[in-house]
Amino acid sequence: MPATGSNSAAAVWTILRKECRSEWRTRYGLNAALLFAVASLTAVSFAAGRLSDRTDLLAALFWIVLLFATLASMSHAFVREVEGRTMLLMRLVASPTEIATGKLCFNLLFLLVVEAVTVPLFLVLTGAPPVRWGTFLAVLGLGTISLAASSTLVGAVIAQTRGRGALFAGVSLPLLLPVLAAAVAGTRDMWASNPVASSVRLLAAYAVALLSASLLLYDHLWED
Amino acid sequence: MSAPAARVHGDAVSHRYGSRVALQPLSFDFGGPGVVAVTGENGSGKSTLLRILAGLMRPTRGATSLEVGGVAVPPRERRHHVGLSTPELSFYEEFTAEENLRFAAETRGLPNVQPAVRDALEKTGLSSRAGDRVAEFSSGMKQRLRLGFAVLHRPAVLMLDEPGAHLDEEGKAVVERLVLAHSATGLVIVATNEPREIEVASHRIQLSGRGLDHPS
Amino acid sequence: MVLRVLLFLWIAVTMVIALLRAPLVPVLEETTRVLYFHIPAAWLTVVALGWSMINSVIYLVRRDLRADDHAAAAAELGLLFCIGATVSGALWAKAMWGAYWNWDPRETSIFFVLLIYTAYLALRGSIEGEEKRARLSAIYSVAAFVAVPFLIFVVPRMYATLHPDPIINDRGKVDMDPMIRWCFLSMLVGFTGLYVWLQSLRVRVSRLERAAHAA
Repeated sequence: MPATGSNSAAAVWTILRKECRSEWRTRYGLNAALLFAVASLTAVSFAAGRLSDRTDLLAALFWIVLLFATLASMSHAFVREVEGRTMLLMRLVASPTEIATGKLCFNLLFLLVVEAVTVPLFLVLTGAPPVRWGTFLAVLGLGTISLAASSTLVGAVIAQTRGRGALFAGVSLPLLLPVLAAAVAGTRDMWASNPVASSVRLLAAYAVALLSASLLLYDHLWED
Repeated sequence: MSAPAARVHGDAVSHRYGSRVALQPLSFDFGGPGVVAVTGENGSGKSTLLRILAGLMRPTRGATSLEVGGVAVPPRERRHHVGLSTPELSFYEEFTAEENLRFAAETRGLPNVQPAVRDALEKTGLSSRAGDRVAEFSSGMKQRLRLGFAVLHRPAVLMLDEPGAHLDEEGKAVVERLVLAHSATGLVIVATNEPREIEVASHRIQLSGRGLDHPS
Repeated sequence: MVLRVLLFLWIAVTMVIALLRAPLVPVLEETTRVLYFHIPAAWLTVVALGWSMINSVIYLVRRDLRADDHAAAAAELGLLFCIGATVSGALWAKAMWGAYWNWDPRETSIFFVLLIYTAYLALRGSIEGEEKRARLSAIYSVAAFVAVPFLIFVVPRMYATLHPDPIINDRGKVDMDPMIRWCFLSMLVGFTGLYVWLQSLRVRVSRLERAAHAA
């Protein structure tokens, strides 16, 4: 009997599990992303030296490293489907919104794993001053959500074009600049013990706006 | 378990990619149970027609409709009622055959995943290879997996694009069995140029036109 | 034909009067003349962006390729006006404040708009197939629409706090001499007319191309 009115949440969960299992079995995506993140972090901190007293620069460099890591690794989820030619399979078993939402959750998880390695390393290598963890994690978390949301939408679009990495970066940038600005300001203020409420509010507002727009747009992603 | 009655209808449906005609204007009306054969030269639009009917593509002109149990199904919902097998259908190479089918069944939200998967594997003769990764499969086994995928959710309409491709005699017998079983109560649409597959059909759509392989 | 000539005369006459006869604004002195070009260009950039995004939404809702023609044409023209506004702005900044670029809030805003245009057009250039190109670029356009309020209003203010801006931006706060005001408004109207004409031309070209393909 065909299943009409499928349970969307269950479909998204299944797709997320599939992505994780796929990544675990092949692993080249995560390895490459971690390698790139650590390499760019090393380059940045090596070139800049110890910056314990320049928290404004530290904040900027921190988010630039995360931005690079995002641009380098986030198109992976969709490119994998395109190269494996499995998009047809996906489109036959799930709606575009379910597919994209599943990928969004995966991208978010992926970024969090990359950050779990990169963030402590950054703090140590650059000799950063102690962090106010509550505030820091709030800014980091909200910023990551927007990074993942933007990358999922742009990634899904770019995977259908002839362009690849460079195009993904160039097209993503306008959408990521508000995150960069607010996150850098928030991180800088965190270190300077200034109030971060406005930055956090901005990050939250942008994340909500991006996610809402995404949910409306996902449906149009695949039609041929 | 029988599938509900299905009808497909085409109203001057045609498709082009840029300036190239992929499918010449076509009108048709068929109802199940039974088998419809779609024939024509390479490039005449057989695969294109199936993709349009399955709701994967919007035709540049005209429209198609699919009715299941008397209710029209919009293109976006057709994947629930259509079991599609085409040469372009690829599976996750890092997963086993069973994992691929289980993924399909769970994502579709089928009520009984394990029995459905086991059943599909049996029908296509893949039970013994269920635990092997698709990367190790021959093209014949991949084709069987495509067929298993198509029947997995017991759709009202089975759409098979070149079902006999890559298959040996045993494999082709599997195809015949599946088609016969399904056409007893449901609609089967087969795009093919194989005489054996055409002769079981009760209706036939003959596609003409130069199509994509010939310069316009 | 008549309208084209009229438009040409309108802009030409306005330009002559503005450059030769209109008085200079006290603070801006000789650089006053830039405001007849720079501000209309910036205004049109924003208008074009808005028109492009509206048509993207229309395309997604109606799947009418004519909406896509408008979206693409508006983006191309918007980019041209944006480059014009950015360059004239940079020249003005050099003359007024000694540096071509300061990450002043307004400069930042126009730069972001430039980024959006180039990203949109680069995306379009990488997609084959009319409907696919229209659909995917429309999706991006709507996503960019979400970013625009943040990019134009919020982010530039944030950088203003990061680098305290000693430069007093008094554009628009000047009480305009009537003649200046009239020349300025006339130029604005002329430019808008220019944009509407170019837009309709570009859209007509797109339609002809499509008709030629279909034949």
